[in-house]
Amino acid sequence: MPPESIYDALLSQEAIALFEFSDGGTFAPLATLPVWCDLLWQLGGQTSLQLAEKSPFLENFLTEAEQFWASQGSGVLNSGYWVEQDSSGKQFPLEASAFWLAGKRVLLIRHLPDTFRQQQQVFQAGRDALLTQERLVREIEKKEILLHCIIHDLSQPLTSMRSCFELLLDKKLAPDAAKFVLTGRRESQRQERMIRGLLEAFAADLAGEQSPGQGKAVSADLISCARRSVEQFVPAFTERGIRLILAPYWDFLRGARVVGDAPRVDRIFGNLLDNALRYSPKGSAVTVGLEDGGPELTAFVDDEGPGLPTDSSNEHIFALFGQGKDRPGKVGLGLYFCKMTVERWGGTIGATNRANRGSRFWFRLPRAPQQSAASPPGSAVADAPAVPVSPDTRRKPAGQALHIVVADDDEISRELVIETLRTRGHFVTGAGDGAEALAAFERLQPEVLLIDQHMPGMDGLAVARAIRQKEEQTGSAPAILIGWSGNAAAEDERRAQQAGMDALVGKPFDPKTLFQLIERPAPASSRESAPAGAAAPEDLRAHLTHMTAGNEKLARRLVVSFLKDFPRRLSMIERAVSRKNADGLASAAHSLRGAFAIFDAQKSVVAARNLEAMGREHRFEGASDEFHTLADDLSRLERELRALFPPPSSPSKRHRPSRRRVRSGGKR
Amino acid sequence: MLQKKICMLGSFSVGKTSLVRRFVESIFDEKYHTTIGVKVDKKVVPVDREEVTLVLWDIHGEDVFQKMRMSYLRGMSGYLLVVDPTRPQTLEDALALQTRVREAMGAVPWILVLNKCDRIAEWEIDLEPIRSLEGSGQVVVRTSAKTGEGVEQAFSRLAQAMLHSSC
Repeated sequence: MPPESIYDALLSQEAIALFEFSDGGTFAPLATLPVWCDLLWQLGGQTSLQLAEKSPFLENFLTEAEQFWASQGSGVLNSGYWVEQDSSGKQFPLEASAFWLAGKRVLLIRHLPDTFRQQQQVFQAGRDALLTQERLVREIEKKEILLHCIIHDLSQPLTSMRSCFELLLDKKLAPDAAKFVLTGRRESQRQERMIRGLLEAFAADLAGEQSPGQGKAVSADLISCARRSVEQFVPAFTERGIRLILAPYWDFLRGARVVGDAPRVDRIFGNLLDNALRYSPKGSAVTVGLEDGGPELTAFVDDEGPGLPTDSSNEHIFALFGQGKDRPGKVGLGLYFCKMTVERWGGTIGATNRANRGSRFWFRLPRAPQQSAASPPGSAVADAPAVPVSPDTRRKPAGQALHIVVADDDEISRELVIETLRTRGHFVTGAGDGAEALAAFERLQPEVLLIDQHMPGMDGLAVARAIRQKEEQTGSAPAILIGWSGNAAAEDERRAQQAGMDALVGKPFDPKTLFQLIERPAPASSRESAPAGAAAPEDLRAHLTHMTAGNEKLARRLVVSFLKDFPRRLSMIERAVSRKNADGLASAAHSLRGAFAIFDAQKSVVAARNLEAMGREHRFEGASDEFHTLADDLSRLERELRALFPPPSSPSKRHRPSRRRVRSGGKR
Repeated sequence: MLQKKICMLGSFSVGKTSLVRRFVESIFDEKYHTTIGVKVDKKVVPVDREEVTLVLWDIHGEDVFQKMRMSYLRGMSGYLLVVDPTRPQTLEDALALQTRVREAMGAVPWILVLNKCDRIAEWEIDLEPIRSLEGSGQVVVRTSAKTGEGVEQAFSRLAQAMLHSSC
């Protein structure tokens, strides 16, 4: 036992109450109890106390303490803080401890107002900070969602505009009109860059992507980026009577690569050139150049404008929403994006006034390490043009025509994409929402689905997941699923990929990119499945595949049925022509015309349509020639169809009658 | 008199202490005072024509600073699981806590309390899991410690559930 003096010293602080636990389940004070014990539990003068009855918290703790004492445990069992309240409402923060001391089971209860208050202050500050942080994170999330909504809404009409310009460029336009359309297209591309810049600036800011080591280790050919940007901006500068010049001393740095990815470097050049364009007077020159700085390369854009205001700082010029004093119509995002991006790659950016007149905007990027000198194969950030060259949409696809379902709730966007793809030579079906897209997939089994990400009800991701699930269940060949979204950021791409999509195309879509994605060569397996020695053109095979949604049995049935049926109908036409039976001619030609469409026999369709019209108009002049045209084309079609689906037995025997009949109708 | 122990559980700053104060003392304080440890209050309420003393254990909310001791729940007859719907994370944390409590204490009557219904315009939780819980028979009560809305109802429904429970 400690000497009495130590007890006295402790108790004099009125902080501690000490009890000994006895076998009877009661507690005996080991010394004079402090005043708060009496205030709370009225223990004065008692020597055998039922402490568990005094406080529910103590009752709970003592159950645990008795187990602790019974186990002869070493150390101390602490209760943690609890708060008791006396009859006047005054609160007493307490903490109890149970332990063995000199063979006694000791219960120590401490009154700790100061420690409790200090801890409460610390926790309060910490939790207030956590609440603030939570609130800020939610605010940022809300802003991000709002931003994505805005981007999406801005992208929709832009998609329509760009598609309109692309479609217009397919037409024969007067030179003046073509110039306007090209200007419109260029400006819509510029707006697209601005929207994407806005999205990327915020996305990078929100994600805190500050380290150049994060993300993909990529490099860019700085000269290529500069040249591309200049080429792209020359028309806009020329239009305003400003010369845009590439500095002549570039060549010795050809091939020099810097840390960064090409599309973003292009955008940095683009933003700086955009800035120079706004402030350069007519008749002046803007020069883009490059300087070797050893471990770094510096690119600059010199203009001959009014220069920077004397009171402006780089910090202000490149700040978010930073605007000069005379900068109408700009919100100050372009240069902010440049700063964010350059610094993320470990570079620096700045602006100064030039000695004579104008300003220099420059950025400096570290040279890329040797091992990352080339972009990885298949990398999306290779030195591809930031703004792709307009594709020739009139060109037919390199491979077969595809059956494509385009799903978008925005009718204008949908129709424009459909038109673009049809012009390209594909078979396209539209769907107004996710459910329609899924139904179209089940009905048509298209090779490609272009799905808008944001549709009411079933969104694009849900459609993709459902399609992949169905493909897995049925074992059918996977369709190409292309997501289509105003937000094609990395996170969106990840989500699209997880949902089973093959790619995510940003709005406004670039037709060339889309064509490259969907017009893959036909899989080897489908080519291998063609009958050996088949002479049928791939077009016919592809068309039949589309018309039957890849159902070969159905295709064969259609061919067999047609081959069996068409000679009879051809004979009917021949008879009607020879007997000048107008109604019979119209009826027979009409019924046969429907069948031709299944096999994409355009020449026969035209001939049958003409014969049908002749019948309806009771006009037989030229009918015989039209019939021969029809018969000859059908003869070709018959050969091709038989090559495609050779009869299982006695082909020559079954073949002969139809040939005879065709020939019998072919007298000239 | 019959006594029943009720524990107030949930994340920090969801309003556990405010609900107890509103229920016991009809008081509400706008300022947030974080709870350290445990504070026990009592209130006698009539339940099915019987007087019952509810022993209310206001237990500190869990966060990086404090973890709840399961020993506090010993002898508990029921608990209110409190959520601040303006903070979606508190619902996730509450449901995770409920799983831990069920594993430790078995099936004990509990009520999900969506507090701060005076700020319903600021609610951000996903109500789908709430509807799903309600659909499966779980009692969910919307309360406001500030206005008193639903507070009596939350405690009284839990008291009834505790009395009719075999736990």
